[in-house]
Amino acid sequence: MNVSERPGSFAPQEPDLPNPLPRPAGEFEALERAWKAPRGLSFITAVNNTYVGLWYVGTAFLFFILAGILALIMRAQLAAPESDLVGHDLYNQLFTMHGTVMMFLFAVPAVEAASVYLLPNMQAARDLPFPRLSAYAFWAYFVGGLVFFGTIFFGLSPNGGWFMYPPLTGSKYSPAENADWWLLGIGFIEISAIAGAIEIIVGVMKTRAVGMSLDKLPVYSWAMLVFAVMIVIGFPAIILGTLLLEMERAFDWPFFIAERGGDPLLWQHLFWFFGHPEVYIIFLPATGMVSMIVPAMAQTPLVGYRLIVLALIATGFLSFGLWVHHMFATGLPKMSLSFFSAASTAVSVPSGIQVFAWIATIASGRMKLTTPSLFIIGFLFIFTLGGLTGVMVAMAPFDWQAHDSYFVVAHLHYVLIGGMVFPLFAAFYYWVPVASKRPLSERLGRWVFGLMFLGVNVTFLPMHVTGLIGMPRRVYTYPVGMGWDALNLVSTVGAFMIAAGVAVFLVDLARNFRFAGEDNAGNIWNASTLEWLPNGNYNTRSIPSVVSRDPLWDQPNLSKHVEDGRYYLPGTATGGREALVTSPFDATPQYILQVPGPGWQPVLAAVFTAAFFLLLTVKFVLTSVVCGVIAVGCVIWWLWETDPGPVRPPADIGGGIVVPVYVTGPMNHSWWAMIVLMVVCGMVFTCLIFSYLFLWLVNPGAWPPQGIEPPERLWPLVSAALYIASAALIVVASRILRGDDRRSPRAVPILIAVALLLVSGASAADLWAQWRTGLSPSAHAYGAAVYAIVSLQIFFVLTTLVMGLYTIARWLAGRLDSIRRTTFDNTMLFWSYTVGQGLVGLAVVHGFPRLIGGP
Amino acid sequence: MIGRRTGQVVLMLAGLLAWAVQFTIIYGATSTLCGLDRADATLLGIGNVQAVVLATTLAAFLAAAGALAWLLWAQKRTSDQAAPADRFMTQAGALIGGFSLIAILWQGLPALILPACA
Repeated sequence: MNVSERPGSFAPQEPDLPNPLPRPAGEFEALERAWKAPRGLSFITAVNNTYVGLWYVGTAFLFFILAGILALIMRAQLAAPESDLVGHDLYNQLFTMHGTVMMFLFAVPAVEAASVYLLPNMQAARDLPFPRLSAYAFWAYFVGGLVFFGTIFFGLSPNGGWFMYPPLTGSKYSPAENADWWLLGIGFIEISAIAGAIEIIVGVMKTRAVGMSLDKLPVYSWAMLVFAVMIVIGFPAIILGTLLLEMERAFDWPFFIAERGGDPLLWQHLFWFFGHPEVYIIFLPATGMVSMIVPAMAQTPLVGYRLIVLALIATGFLSFGLWVHHMFATGLPKMSLSFFSAASTAVSVPSGIQVFAWIATIASGRMKLTTPSLFIIGFLFIFTLGGLTGVMVAMAPFDWQAHDSYFVVAHLHYVLIGGMVFPLFAAFYYWVPVASKRPLSERLGRWVFGLMFLGVNVTFLPMHVTGLIGMPRRVYTYPVGMGWDALNLVSTVGAFMIAAGVAVFLVDLARNFRFAGEDNAGNIWNASTLEWLPNGNYNTRSIPSVVSRDPLWDQPNLSKHVEDGRYYLPGTATGGREALVTSPFDATPQYILQVPGPGWQPVLAAVFTAAFFLLLTVKFVLTSVVCGVIAVGCVIWWLWETDPGPVRPPADIGGGIVVPVYVTGPMNHSWWAMIVLMVVCGMVFTCLIFSYLFLWLVNPGAWPPQGIEPPERLWPLVSAALYIASAALIVVASRILRGDDRRSPRAVPILIAVALLLVSGASAADLWAQWRTGLSPSAHAYGAAVYAIVSLQIFFVLTTLVMGLYTIARWLAGRLDSIRRTTFDNTMLFWSYTVGQGLVGLAVVHGFPRLIGGP
Repeated sequence: MIGRRTGQVVLMLAGLLAWAVQFTIIYGATSTLCGLDRADATLLGIGNVQAVVLATTLAAFLAAAGALAWLLWAQKRTSDQAAPADRFMTQAGALIGGFSLIAILWQGLPALILPACA
């Protein structure tokens, strides 16, 4: 490694320009060529973050409109009592789809999509570190989401509420496929959310402008970092929950069936351990956007940067201590409930800190009343009201009164529309000049704001009262004379006002949005951050060095110098697409990342991933498995081109800084991604162990139930020995694959092959041991829990098998040696995880029943 | 290099990590003791559950306060030559620590008011 170590501190003045003028002939053309998006039919294989980001935002917005139309149908049905516009079954599908689509197909994808577009630009990176992963996440979501939405036209939509509580959604009470559409249809959304989270974490930590140390990171980047970490911690719970419920429906494993030792409350815990953080996952990126827009509108730096970072991080933590406040009415011990009450009230403090920081920023500058400003003011007003009712329902006694009434509907729409939709519209009006040749219209924008702001209040303010005087949620109609008629009619009128506002917005988009390459409208707000630098497909001509949080204000010539190529890496060093990777804390240049370009692989992999889940829903098992295998094949084909190795000697990026074009080990971006993926897997497993222990608490005297003997001690010991031996072989292989000369000894693939046999033997031995004792997965929740742990382990071993064989294939193809070993390193990391999970699983399954005094 | 940075991040988040551990223990212990009907036993005259909650709260508070003190002391020692990122992490850590001390006490409060398993 000959990365020049620069001191972490930069003097607060314009840095020296690393590259001289004139730039060599052809440098700029080569850069343009490398980043050019494909044309014609191949256009959909583009992976540039600006293209994928826009498609992604557009698709999310499409789902916003579709789910909004479902809401309008519901409001039309409720406008008058005893109406028969839609029947009860369709109404159940409508509210389930409205909630599901708004949360899973609009809100989370929308904020993720915005960051695919904005993050690299804001950090002056050329692109995200894994552009093909973003493309994959987008296409899986696009195809899967549209098919999922299509079920509403066939009466096949899920109808058990967006939270899908069993036993209602179990096979006894929902024998039809509607529930499966939810459980499997959400699968690809979970995959694409996690893919996006990995992308964002590595993107924020590793691809920033030079000198953009942690204290100079835009607040939006902080918000997205916390958002991504929350997805990594929170989403695994819903992944596991859907797996368990689908296994119960498909194979009759009774996780949630009380007669056989299961417990429907387990689902509620798993669902809300994801579901409550979920709303903050939606809200935090929106606050990040607000923190970017407010300083630009007030023309003054953000007040309280450190406090806002504290607020983001504290919200991220505390939001995981709230989930039971959705379960106040389930009869849990009062002391337990009050812990969640305490955390639910505490979480309002960080949000309050942020609100006051924005107000202080507005007060310290001169806020122009532009359309983005109006939406920010609307956000502050509506979100704060929603926050106040939130503190009310955080009190268990009050919640028992308001639970399942329209009061809660009013509260959640105030916080979600106020806290996410309004900032998103502010962001549309604010950032469109980056992506379009013309900004959106201020005149139409005021109409959009006026209609939406009035509409939201007219719709949802009366609902507080409707709920307090007793109208329950999720009823398709109500009798005359309950005193709810007028209030419901007002709410319906308001809903159509919101729709009118959105329609005006669509007109504005159609009239003024024109996709821009290098000729965008530019910095019309005089904003201070890097996404307003002149840019094209390659993002910025050269990668700037920043000395403050507001570079465009503090470095007056920055735009010109960046465009002239006076800053770092003004061309392409390898002839292909590249990103400059910087250190995670001080943002000093580390190495050049060779970014993959457009390709069909992510698109095809995504389509077949979506097909796998969707076909599984309608029980086309064989076709579905074939699609799954093709999807894995496409991923392998896609990976084959990655891990290019050091294609040239270290390159000079300017200012005498010479960085390598390939690194391995903990500095490598894919190493980071693998660590994040391991955390995701670890969380899935943790939730499974929690489920095991939870089911034990439900059956304290019968774990295992009468007549079931756990396997003899010898079996888990054999299994554990095989796991450890396989890991040891991989460590030995890693030792052999070391050194500076590019050797790749024959022993490496042989060791991997033997280790594969051992690790497969280990999980097979464990499965066999359980099977021998006659333990049935469907007789009792104990068996179901044990087999769930064993099955998850088998899935991981199979994944390890694929990775191990892939690594051997790389060696056979001469693409693996002591320098070019990222593939091997990733396999080794995943291997260590699989072995660790296997050992913990053995300890729990075989040790726990003995520990609590079983046989 | 990695080790120092990891330590910095842990120190910066120490208060909230302490809160997370506290939350997990008090909720887990309450649910388990109530679920197994072992909440009636007493420790030194205090109910089982209350004792666990108060002890955990005290431990978490001391851990968070200790981390905060260490952070402030370390900052005093190195403030003049620290890189901006390091200085920022210290300041953010101090804010997080201060916030967490209140959050931890607030989190343990129910044990003084409510019956354990009713």
